[in-house]
Amino acid sequence: MLLPRTYMLALRATVSNSPISNVLEALRSAPSQTLQNLARVRYAHHQSEGRANGVKDGPGKRLGAKKTAGQYVIPGHIIFRQRGTKWFPGENCDMGRDHTIFAARAGYVQFYRDPLKHPKRQYIGVTFDRDDKLPYPPNAPRRRRLGMVATDSPSGPPAESIAASAAAEADMSGGNALVAAAAAQAHNSRGRDLMATGTVAREVPRRLGRKGGRSVSYLDRGEDGMPLAPNARTRGMYREANWEIGRAAEREGIKVKKWVPGDRWSAWRQRAKRRERAQQMSAMRSGGKKKGKGKKGRGKK
Amino acid sequence: MAALKTSSSRWLASSPVRRPIVLRTLTTTSSHRVDAEAGTPSAAAESQSVPPSGAKAPLDPRVLDPNIVTLPSMERKLRRAGIALPGSRRRRAVLKSAPHVPLEKMPYQCFQEARKVLLADREEKLEQIEAQRGKILRLLEQDPSVSGGELAKKTRLHSMRRYLEKLKVQADVNDPAVKKRFEDGEGDMNKPVYRFLADRKWHEYPRKIVMQRITQMNVVPDVLPHIDPIYEVNVAFGRRRIPPGDIVDSRISASPATLSIQPFDAGERLATIAVVDPDVPNVETDNFGSRCHYLATNVPLSPATGKVSLGRLSAETQVVLPWMPPFSQKGLQYQRLAVVVFEQRDGAPTDLERMRLSSPRDGLTMRQLMARFLLKPVGINMFRTVWDEGTEGVMRKAEIEGWDIEFQRKKIEPLPKKRRNLAKYR
Repeated sequence: MLLPRTYMLALRATVSNSPISNVLEALRSAPSQTLQNLARVRYAHHQSEGRANGVKDGPGKRLGAKKTAGQYVIPGHIIFRQRGTKWFPGENCDMGRDHTIFAARAGYVQFYRDPLKHPKRQYIGVTFDRDDKLPYPPNAPRRRRLGMVATDSPSGPPAESIAASAAAEADMSGGNALVAAAAAQAHNSRGRDLMATGTVAREVPRRLGRKGGRSVSYLDRGEDGMPLAPNARTRGMYREANWEIGRAAEREGIKVKKWVPGDRWSAWRQRAKRRERAQQMSAMRSGGKKKGKGKKGRGKK
Repeated sequence: MAALKTSSSRWLASSPVRRPIVLRTLTTTSSHRVDAEAGTPSAAAESQSVPPSGAKAPLDPRVLDPNIVTLPSMERKLRRAGIALPGSRRRRAVLKSAPHVPLEKMPYQCFQEARKVLLADREEKLEQIEAQRGKILRLLEQDPSVSGGELAKKTRLHSMRRYLEKLKVQADVNDPAVKKRFEDGEGDMNKPVYRFLADRKWHEYPRKIVMQRITQMNVVPDVLPHIDPIYEVNVAFGRRRIPPGDIVDSRISASPATLSIQPFDAGERLATIAVVDPDVPNVETDNFGSRCHYLATNVPLSPATGKVSLGRLSAETQVVLPWMPPFSQKGLQYQRLAVVVFEQRDGAPTDLERMRLSSPRDGLTMRQLMARFLLKPVGINMFRTVWDEGTEGVMRKAEIEGWDIEFQRKKIEPLPKKRRNLAKYR
């Protein structure tokens, strides 16, 4: 790549320095000059200015082991900070975004190698027992901890009471049993299941049948605002779909006035309203107390 | 060629407009075309001719064959007459154009030449089989001292028998009829060649899937220290086959599973079948235990057994622990259910009473079972279960305690803050 450039230089030099006025002659003599130029050596000069030669030794990143072998750790404790994977996460450990090794279970730290897993890697592990030796034998059952407690009361009231109350409600509201069934079902899916016999699931179908001549879909809501039929996407859970949430305003009949860019009158009115609201809010926040400092001067905005 | 000429001349006579084509029919390439063209109208007339005087007349099955009908109007007629049409229209069209020629008589020269080669090879293999059988018989009669001791004789017999089996497979494995029968699922598993083909097919993909699932989900080493499956085991509930490791609805798995167990070696043998859950929570020890959901022993298996319905095994002579519906309590992760098939030592029956006494449902591990009864795991599969809508009902129906328990994560106390040594900073 260097060749064309040196060629050009040589050409310019011959034209300016030699007495030959004919350009063609100069061109003819150029190749020999080029070869001469190629034989010359261009030394790298030293760029003394600029940030390339700045301080290379930045602040230390405090890398390295944060826990020693045998130390007790709980989940989330950082055991090793590193650049790249000097150490790999082993038993009950995990690796963060920047390759930091941290504990996934409470236990005692161990630094070890596992040639069966990988011949060259070094691992950090956490054992539940202080005396355990890592790696564990490959065919032994894994050592695990449950890490859970059994609570007696599952969330939500008992299913029977919901069904009974829903039925009572239905009687009062003129025998709308469908709504009651749906409400009970909705409660069940959130809390406990109604299925004492295991056959109820078949009795409450996905599509709840017809109500007053039209079929009930998951768009229809009961008195408590919950949908009557389960939403297919959420697998029977009574949650509104995102598109339904997006259409909430439409459903409520809320109309937003169209914004006209040049309409200064409505812009002024809106701004006035906003200020008023902001004042109210700040008054509420201060709880009626009067704070003199900087309060008065903030009126303009 | 004579027939061709007559047909073309007849055709020409009927359509004088196309006279210029006559010259071209003399070449062989276009003569085929003419023949085909001349042939189709008559064939179509034969197969699709309709009885005159409308659809009210009773259909003649000879005229309207439901296997080859392709015209929509004809299909409608058949349907109105209450005759079901097999397969798609495309399939029927193919059947119409493809006559049922047996595989051996396929009219392809290359195919027939290849068959000759294969037949010759088969003859050769059959001779070798005879020779090998003779050799084995002779060795059997031989005195052990002549053949280098009892052990050497036994080893030699074993390897000779293995070679005989190999020859039996090789004699038939290239036969197109055998291949077809195997691919149609009509292979007789009592024959070595079909067992060989089935084994190869199983090794190609389904076994790999099972091995992946049991290693990824740690069934090995949690349930068994090691396994090299040689039986294909598939789990089904009712008629629904479960892919290995699938999460099964608790209502579906409430009734006993049906296993299809396929050994690939000849002969009857006795097997022990166990379904075990290694993820039983134990709050006291803050650990996981094991529970046996099903245990049956002395189940006869052979290559042609097919399905073993766990609910139908004899309660008196085979079942040790009847089916308990798999369940996962609320708040827990999924529970793994390993389905393991064990081969009994020397095919000898297990002492059922002893197994009943020493196999409690709770806490029984497969390691214990293998050690106590000299069992060897030969087939494995697995599925999973989670707490779902049906679990509570299933547990109540089966009178299993714990349907009203919810598991929650135990809070881990943070370590006390280290107090700074203030003196150090002065």
